[in-house]
Amino acid sequence: MPLLMELSKKKWLFIGLIIGAILLTLPVPEGLSPRGMRALSLVIVVFIFFVTEPIPLPGVALFIAIAQVLLNLASPIVVAQSFMSDSVFFIMGSLMIATALVKQNLDKRIALIIIKITGPRVNRIVFGLVTFSALLASFIGEHTVAAMLLPVGVALINYTNKDWRQIRNLSVIIMLSIAYGSMIAGAGTPSGGARNAIMLSYWKNLFEINISYFEWMKFAYPMLLIEVPLITFILLFTFAPETKDLSLAVTALKEKVAESGAISSKEWLAISIFIITVLMWMTISDTIGLGITALIGTLLFLVADVIKWEDLNNNVNWGTILIYGGAISLGIMMKRTGVAEWLSQSFLQWVAPFGLDQGVPLLVVISFMTILMATVMSSGATVGILGPITLNIASLSGTSVIAAGFVTVISSSFCFLTTVASPACNIIYGGGYLKKSDYLKAGWKLVLVSFILVQVISIGYWQFLSL
Amino acid sequence: MKILMCTDGEEYAEEAIRFGGKLAKEMSSDISILHVRPPISPRNRIQLTTARKKLGEWNLEIPGVDYLVRAKEILTELGLTKTAPFEEEKVSRAFRVEVHGATELHLIGLKGELVRLRLREGHPVDEILEEADLGDYDLVIVGSRGQKGFSSHFVGSTAMRVADLAACSVLIAKNIKADDNFLLCTDGSQLAEKAEIIGAEMAQKLGANMTILSVAESIEEEKEATQLTRRADMILAQMGIKAERKVRVGRPAEEIIDEAKDHDIVVMGSSGSSLVKKFFLGSTPLKVIEYGECPVLIVREKRGKISLQVSN
Repeated sequence: MPLLMELSKKKWLFIGLIIGAILLTLPVPEGLSPRGMRALSLVIVVFIFFVTEPIPLPGVALFIAIAQVLLNLASPIVVAQSFMSDSVFFIMGSLMIATALVKQNLDKRIALIIIKITGPRVNRIVFGLVTFSALLASFIGEHTVAAMLLPVGVALINYTNKDWRQIRNLSVIIMLSIAYGSMIAGAGTPSGGARNAIMLSYWKNLFEINISYFEWMKFAYPMLLIEVPLITFILLFTFAPETKDLSLAVTALKEKVAESGAISSKEWLAISIFIITVLMWMTISDTIGLGITALIGTLLFLVADVIKWEDLNNNVNWGTILIYGGAISLGIMMKRTGVAEWLSQSFLQWVAPFGLDQGVPLLVVISFMTILMATVMSSGATVGILGPITLNIASLSGTSVIAAGFVTVISSSFCFLTTVASPACNIIYGGGYLKKSDYLKAGWKLVLVSFILVQVISIGYWQFLSL
Repeated sequence: MKILMCTDGEEYAEEAIRFGGKLAKEMSSDISILHVRPPISPRNRIQLTTARKKLGEWNLEIPGVDYLVRAKEILTELGLTKTAPFEEEKVSRAFRVEVHGATELHLIGLKGELVRLRLREGHPVDEILEEADLGDYDLVIVGSRGQKGFSSHFVGSTAMRVADLAACSVLIAKNIKADDNFLLCTDGSQLAEKAEIIGAEMAQKLGANMTILSVAESIEEEKEATQLTRRADMILAQMGIKAERKVRVGRPAEEIIDEAKDHDIVVMGSSGSSLVKKFFLGSTPLKVIEYGECPVLIVREKRGKISLQVSN
């Protein structure tokens, strides 16, 4: 019996592998080479694994590497190279920098800055929380910001009323403002989310397009700025807060922060190193690469003794690096074996009768597909698998590859509906103030609004930038 | 003896804790109180742990901890722990990643008993069972709202499933009111005798009256059943405990439920029926838990303990 139970937990592992084996024996469809068929089988199996997670995701990444070699899709050297590129360096460096920042006691400082600017009115505080979560997350990633601001949110709730059940709506608003605020910012700059690095790597490897840090911001940042007030409005509109005034909490919070004294020289040092790194990303990363720049930043943190290596070792999610390495490797293989192109052609034949095969209608379809996929699996995996396909579709149909890439990356962060799809939602959910249904209540409105917003931006703003 | 009590913040759970606390006080046992929060995807465990540590720096607690604090207050009311201001107690908080982000608070009882408040994350049944297993408890107390019918039959309430799957004795504290009238059920099995002894010890500590019940499935078997109650009475007499005897005829589960109306707690040995039989017929204790209106103590021999006895 226990053995059977264990096996049934892993059923998707077997189902995935069996589907893969069946696919390998099927006749090769037209336009696809036998090698392409093997690659396609691998992609489908990996897709199943990403959605059902029968093994930990880093394990799926290892599977990607192993299967590529065993199916004779690539040589070990090629696989190893595709796993560790400058983009993966960039992800690794950004994670380490974020960890170094979280280790400082900046959460209290940030809380103070927010309430000093907003004052005690609820709607202003919510706006402040969304804004700060978004601004910070656009540079250091959503999971870091969610972890940093969760205590701030809990403090605000606790200081307002000891029994949070009496202010449930307010608690939900405060918690969701942090989660959603940091989520929308993920696509703001390349360092905002690891999936951005995947897209950069696809552009570079598959289409030889180089987008600099600053250019990325030019395209993607306005979207984020428009979403901030929208989220604030939707949250306040969906959950009517029980009280309009948080003076009590604000006073208590100020006292609490005052206890920890002035900002120490170490904290200043950490902030300066971080600012220097961002400036380097904006300026010299075109020549030395985003990854190397991130590593310089990390090295500076270590040299200045702001962070101990042990802290980095224990607090960086090393598995993430493997997952993204695996996703990029899979994407590159999809392009090389012709799978991406074949899937794109089939897709275009499919949507052509509806007139959705180029320009803005095509971008709408891409955005819709991405949102669907990002809701059932992690956004990184979504961009990893979907990226090569959407870019190929765009290039085949004569639509801008850059626009298609941005639509994919931006739409992949619209997984507002579930607690598991995005790290920020998951971390905030771990705070314990939210029910799963709370995400649904506000989430569908946000998905809808964001979906429309991306289309408006791609028609208006990006056209204006002549993408 | 080690007792594990589970709370979900509802009133019936608090009643269960009140009873368990009283029992623990009389028997000087170590207690753990467990609350299980909804599961969180392990993917961002590191960040979540960081955030929780930061909450500790802010001196803030997450929801769920307040249920445990309430449970602690109940124990204090019972005089089990000292009424010291929170800050003065010896508090140790552990954030251990490997046990699903559990939060712990240790207190020392008046007689040196260890009182442990514990928060786990996951599916209630799994986590309660895992905790019971890890902590090597002798008794798990679970409150039950007493839901009946459709949903409980197919899904099974947390209490039902814990009662079914736990390796140690389980007390389902449903509608728990008083504790001065125990009903010990026997079917002549070895386990039922064990159950009598444990139940009788507990009743004695609490100063309760005891009734021994045996149910005959037909009139012909009534004599045998009377014999069984006599045997049980003798065992208790050897321990210096007095008890009433009673025999009923009918289907065991129904008769026990009916008889239990005049009693406060039913004590039964977990049925030895095989898995297959259990699947088709359901075991008597589980039926009593499901359809009865009274608290039920199911006595089990723990696997580990049996092997110990053999080696002795």
